[in-house]
Amino acid sequence: MECQVTLRVARHPAQDGKRFSEYRVSLEERMTVLDALFRAQREMDGSLGFRCSCRVGMCGSCAVNINRIPRLACTTLVRNLKSDVVTVEPLPHYQVVKDVAVSLAPFFEQWRRARPAFRPRNAGASTLALIGKDSRFRQLAPAKRDCITCGACYAACSITGMNPRYLGPAAINKAFLRLLDPRDAGGEDRLKILDRSLDGVWRCHTQFNCTAVCPRGIDLTDSIVRIKRALLRPGRLFPS
Amino acid sequence: MRYSLRDALRKYRWQFSGMVAWTIQRVTGLLLLAYLFLHVHTVSRLSQGPAAFDRAMATFHSAFFKLLEIGLLGVVVLHASNGIRITLVDLGIGVGRQRHLFWIVTVGAGLLVFLAGAIPLFLFAIGKAG
Repeated sequence: MECQVTLRVARHPAQDGKRFSEYRVSLEERMTVLDALFRAQREMDGSLGFRCSCRVGMCGSCAVNINRIPRLACTTLVRNLKSDVVTVEPLPHYQVVKDVAVSLAPFFEQWRRARPAFRPRNAGASTLALIGKDSRFRQLAPAKRDCITCGACYAACSITGMNPRYLGPAAINKAFLRLLDPRDAGGEDRLKILDRSLDGVWRCHTQFNCTAVCPRGIDLTDSIVRIKRALLRPGRLFPS
Repeated sequence: MRYSLRDALRKYRWQFSGMVAWTIQRVTGLLLLAYLFLHVHTVSRLSQGPAAFDRAMATFHSAFFKLLEIGLLGVVVLHASNGIRITLVDLGIGVGRQRHLFWIVTVGAGLLVFLAGAIPLFLFAIGKAG
């Protein structure tokens, strides 16, 4: 017997006064939500708008709210949702461009504020910098540097929803990576931004929503907590 | 209904337990604030003399209020045990295992302390009613 699911997709602008369009999609083995969206678009409604690029969970462009949780459409298997109805909505806290595609402008505005670019401590060095295997950078960086800037953490964070000036988890994690790096010289500037009481790390309420939704499994709250603790220990910031 | 209570429970029970803990802390905090106002209001009766204060206190000696005290104990214990969890997280302890921390410290330890206090209170309330 053919198995079908109902795909409910949010529409922006509303179609015939309806905020959602529904499509009955035949379920296939290992079908992802992105596959289902493509099937609905190609076979039922060509006006359906969504974003995607790599289809293998590397680019982060297909992040949407699936059954009320921010996830990547290309890595979320319909079968794993264990639901007859799959509701796809745009990520919250962003401006909707079309249907479930949003503008990530607020996310990247905060990303820029965190000064993500590497600033070499010794720009004229002719030899490669050596980083000890027991350094904090070597120990912590591998688990923190896989961010694909999908914006799911920013969408899941309730603080960014209330305070658009808040840096947000991804930007703070990026700053944390730079702070850890003994080759980087931009630490003081970043710490001033991170230490701001109204939009810095102190806004985080450790709800762990960002960590819960990160498709790369980065413990973003851990980065924020580590920065908070480091800010309380002047002079002992991230010894390399 | 498209989004059922079962869906919400499935979503928040484990994956978003940090959000649940945060909500618990806010709700119990507001309940304790309301209790604080009630407490101050009752104590303020002392300014009207011992007789007025005794009348106010007599209201709270009923079995019904003893049962409400059990509820108050639950609110206090939940707020305190979750506060311990938050302190541990802020100290960098168990950040990577915060879900376990929530279920063990906030729910598990909190329930044990609550039962240790609630059972004697309940027996006392029953005795009062009998």
